[in-house]
Amino acid sequence: MNPNERIIAVLDGKPVDRLQTFYPGFDSWPTQQVLGKPLISGEAIFRNPLTRKIFDKWGPKLANLVTDPAINADFMKAIQAAIKVGFDLVWVGPTEGQVMVWNSNTLLRYSGSFYELTTDGHGNMYYMYREPAFNTPEDYYAWPHFVKPDDAAQKSYKFFTKAMKKYGDKICVMPQVQGLHETMILSLGFVNMAVFVRKEPQLLKDFIAYLEDYAMKLCIAMLDAGVKVILLGDDFSNKTGPFMNPKTNDELFGASYQRITKVVHDRGGRIILHSCGDNTKMFDYFIKWGFDGGHAYENTSNVDIYKEKELHGDQFTMVGGVGVDHLLTEHSTPEEVEEGVKELIQVLAPGGRFIIGPVHTHPDMDMSKVKIMMEIVRKHGKYPIRL
Amino acid sequence: MNELLAAVVTAIDEMDLDGIEERVQACLDSGISPEEIIEQGISRGLDIVGQKFEEGEYFLGELVMAGEVVKTGMTRVSAVMDPAKAKQKGKVVIATVEGDIHEIGKNILGMILSTAGWEVIDLGVNVPAATIIETVKSSGSQFIGLSVLLTTMIGEIKKVVDGLTEAGLREQVRIAIGGACCSQDLADRMAVDAYGETAVEGTRIFDRFKEALS
Repeated sequence: MNPNERIIAVLDGKPVDRLQTFYPGFDSWPTQQVLGKPLISGEAIFRNPLTRKIFDKWGPKLANLVTDPAINADFMKAIQAAIKVGFDLVWVGPTEGQVMVWNSNTLLRYSGSFYELTTDGHGNMYYMYREPAFNTPEDYYAWPHFVKPDDAAQKSYKFFTKAMKKYGDKICVMPQVQGLHETMILSLGFVNMAVFVRKEPQLLKDFIAYLEDYAMKLCIAMLDAGVKVILLGDDFSNKTGPFMNPKTNDELFGASYQRITKVVHDRGGRIILHSCGDNTKMFDYFIKWGFDGGHAYENTSNVDIYKEKELHGDQFTMVGGVGVDHLLTEHSTPEEVEEGVKELIQVLAPGGRFIIGPVHTHPDMDMSKVKIMMEIVRKHGKYPIRL
Repeated sequence: MNELLAAVVTAIDEMDLDGIEERVQACLDSGISPEEIIEQGISRGLDIVGQKFEEGEYFLGELVMAGEVVKTGMTRVSAVMDPAKAKQKGKVVIATVEGDIHEIGKNILGMILSTAGWEVIDLGVNVPAATIIETVKSSGSQFIGLSVLLTTMIGEIKKVVDGLTEAGLREQVRIAIGGACCSQDLADRMAVDAYGETAVEGTRIFDRFKEALS
């Protein structure tokens, strides 16, 4: 089996020879721990006075001229790093002009949210959500920065054709498509989202229609490029549960997601849903919507991953499981990593439908601990599991 | 319960953003005091919403929406209220720690505390420990709420604890933490006084703090 076939087999609940592994390739520092640091750091490039001046003066005019090449290069390196460490599945981001420089401290996501442009403490640029761009319905309808889905799809097709040609036979490359619910919350803000659900149904309908079209076209482009597995990133919950009533989520987003997953399946692909937080009340909906599996199952999220295996383990593949709050950081001991990973293998691997890996991206992920995780999987991850 | 106050309670429970001002005004027009409207109407409405949240009937969206309804209703109450009577429970300093800019949970906590009679000093996001300590000193507050979402920023909690100790204030100040990366284990490790998983629980924590210190 090639890497794509293996991952598809796991997502279909079919047997494979060994437990598959997953790497979230979003952060620069973990990748650099494997491949080495660049000659000139991102911080040196983006934080020097001249660059700041240029960004402050011409940020929006530059659009994604600066961000696209940087992000694309980072994701290619993430794939290389994942291959070097021996991962089976690598999650890379959307590369289709999602963000642009707004000023020297700010990135803008085209769908309408602002991000603080900061650093990760290791010389690399990083960003954190700051605020929505749409404070009123008028802001949404007047927004001049929406990306045309066809343009985004073309860019994605170009990038992933290249990536699949170079690496498609060595690892299953899993690109992310942005989700509907989270994007709307980031663009409208939590307060407006809560209010607009009740007061602005037409705006929500229009926004969902745009985001669905965007996601659909991106999925098709990626599949045409040779990608077999897609990750749809949509945080539905925090640690206390879903942001909105699960029924409301289903009413707003269910039909769109069913169409998107059908498009992927009809083309021979598979699609998993990344959603942070305690999704216990959402898993039945994720399955109803047609997703083949889910990521993250954070240990800090109140999700009982072992109970989830019992409840949904025969129809929904679990991806993740290994904590980035302690186990995969510099603060853990090798013995703790070994014990934690062994337990996950012991309980979740039998019966298949489990791909082990970090529960989330993390800029401080310690790759020496990740390598311990991989060693434990190599030692104990052959089927049948004998731990 | 007075019918007019009950209508205020219902407006909050049912997230009636359009109707809340009218119902609050009806209370004021009938001679019900602002304090009573807050205690018997608004706070009760929030209690019901908080309970439904804890029971799993309501979600964060409903908490946020209820907050907006309360904020709208409070504009009528605040316009006629004696400010001195408004915040009797004490002062709480809340902040998202330095390096972190997430604030939704903190904002909900601040809203509920404010309605419950606390004077909330919200320092915002990305707040250095020194600023938090300085604010505690200058305001005389004995209560701090720290919000931390990012695992990479948990060290900031310790900075606040150490800073208070250095200033000789640790014994008389109570600290609660909350946020995605927080847990009781973290609260114990950082030697703070409580961990609140939700904003609703947070308000109960501060009530307990107040009782313990009085």
